[in-house]
Amino acid sequence: MKTAGRIFIGFSAAVLILWLVPWLYNLATLKSYSPPFTLYSPVIHDFTYLDREEGAKNSLRFIDRKGNVHGDEVQPFFYASLLHSRGEFPDSLDGRAITYKEAEDNSLVMTSRPREVARRNAPVYLLMESVPVRMELQDPEDALVIRKDGIKVWNMASNKMLEDKTAGLASQLSANGFVHPAKLLAGNPSHRKEYDEGYLVTDSKDQLFQIKQVDGKMTARSFPQASGLGIRQLFITEYTNHATLGYLIDKDDRMHMLRPDGSVVATDVIFDPVKDNILVVGDLFNYTVKVSDNDGEKFYALSSSDFSLVDSMERTYPTDDEVNLCEYIFPCRIRFVSSNDGYVKPRLQDFSLKGLLADLVIILVIIVLKRRKKAS
Amino acid sequence: MDRMIIYKEWIKTRGFLLGALVVLAILTSYTILNLAKTVELQGAEVIWSTLVMKDTVLIEALRYLPLAAGCLLAVFQFVPETTRKRLKLTLHLPYPQGKMIFMMYAYGITAYVALCLLQSAFLTIFLCKWIVSELVCRIMRTALVWYLAGLAAYLFTVAALLEPTWKHRILILAVALGVMYLLFLSPVPESYNGFLPWLVIYVLGVQLLIYYGVSRFKEGLQD
Repeated sequence: MKTAGRIFIGFSAAVLILWLVPWLYNLATLKSYSPPFTLYSPVIHDFTYLDREEGAKNSLRFIDRKGNVHGDEVQPFFYASLLHSRGEFPDSLDGRAITYKEAEDNSLVMTSRPREVARRNAPVYLLMESVPVRMELQDPEDALVIRKDGIKVWNMASNKMLEDKTAGLASQLSANGFVHPAKLLAGNPSHRKEYDEGYLVTDSKDQLFQIKQVDGKMTARSFPQASGLGIRQLFITEYTNHATLGYLIDKDDRMHMLRPDGSVVATDVIFDPVKDNILVVGDLFNYTVKVSDNDGEKFYALSSSDFSLVDSMERTYPTDDEVNLCEYIFPCRIRFVSSNDGYVKPRLQDFSLKGLLADLVIILVIIVLKRRKKAS
Repeated sequence: MDRMIIYKEWIKTRGFLLGALVVLAILTSYTILNLAKTVELQGAEVIWSTLVMKDTVLIEALRYLPLAAGCLLAVFQFVPETTRKRLKLTLHLPYPQGKMIFMMYAYGITAYVALCLLQSAFLTIFLCKWIVSELVCRIMRTALVWYLAGLAAYLFTVAALLEPTWKHRILILAVALGVMYLLFLSPVPESYNGFLPWLVIYVLGVQLLIYYGVSRFKEGLQD
């Protein structure tokens, strides 16, 4: 029992040291790096990044890949309201007449981080009325409860299952070939949007469906074109321009655009939702898609009309050349939380042979010293 | 003899257990009343949407209660044993020493688990009135790690109190602090779910430190 106790305290202390000491060291020595904000310019047809010129009155400027410096006019959609207030918003671009209203309606931003995807969510999803009586969207009164035997519609105020709506949804889903249980759901149950498209849902066979509440009745629709993609993540898009219904990520991490008519357009964007961050900034002409991880970022410029690839660019983050002392002290480090998910679990990282050798030498020295002490 | 040991532990802890029960009841009722007021003024929809859309389980105010209960229970139960050489007397009774120590902390664990069960039953009954069982399960699963932290606090405190030397006592307390930090590391609901079985095994392993301390005490080590 005594040896077991000794081993237990030794193990506990070792785990805590391998966790806390490298963490404290990193906290003390970490240097932050923020990559410059980059967007594809429909004016010069190149990626431009935002730069700050020291000492200048209007210090913000855009620099393209060749190093040419540009003003705000190179990003007429990103700075639409600013240019419009100055009376400098262009009336045509690339031979196409454009209006400020068009620019506003087609401006969109979407983000996703691994931490938002890789986490345990409650199997409960707030359900909005898509055609509200008072025109404006109201806060949800019902919720979808995902169970193995089906999707139940629950009234939140009374905490009771709504038998009619549940039966209605079940018959709609079964008529469309839905196989329970539901796997993935994506929706945005917020009244801070112009319209509601309910939820995009995948079933146990990875088939894609849409569930909506219209006039108090549950409706379901299937998307046969999306079957076979092996959807591993989905995002609903409820943007003013109605260009897409959602973004789908398939089993090979390829991003697809789901159009409101049910057609699916494959893009060149490769994005692993549990490892990468994504930022989509869309305008009338292009979508700039930034996919980033800890090592760098990849940019895709897509055409807003057919989502074909217009241009792409990669940026690698500078590596830290400074000596990491922990490498010479510890054989590895333990982390219990990660910026890539919302789980607490042990993760062994940064294995170091130098650290392992150093520790072995220290242990050997301690053993020799102890034996000498005993012998004397 | 077993019944006498349990009676002795009961004599030492009954005051504390009654006080803990009252404090737990007051604080849990206060949390429930707060939720009831929110439901009355804004509707149960607010509770649902907060639970679904935000990283909260609405009973975070209670998260450190089990920790305090576990720690204080160990103090009330074992400080009288460690003063005036009572532990020495206890270990000299005609009863297996290991079993004696086990009976003492098993009583403590039982009392602590009973407190936790009472609190979680109270919470579950009231929460079920307003929210669907899936959300109640989410709240209780999130609270499991808080209850485990209380159990760990109890065992570490017992181990530290029975440890005869300050050097080792400080080491045990340092490890305990690190473990407590780990158990309260993430506020994200259900973030410990997958890791929890391993943490339970580890926390049960803290019992080894209790016997480690007792064996060192028996060897005559003392500051």
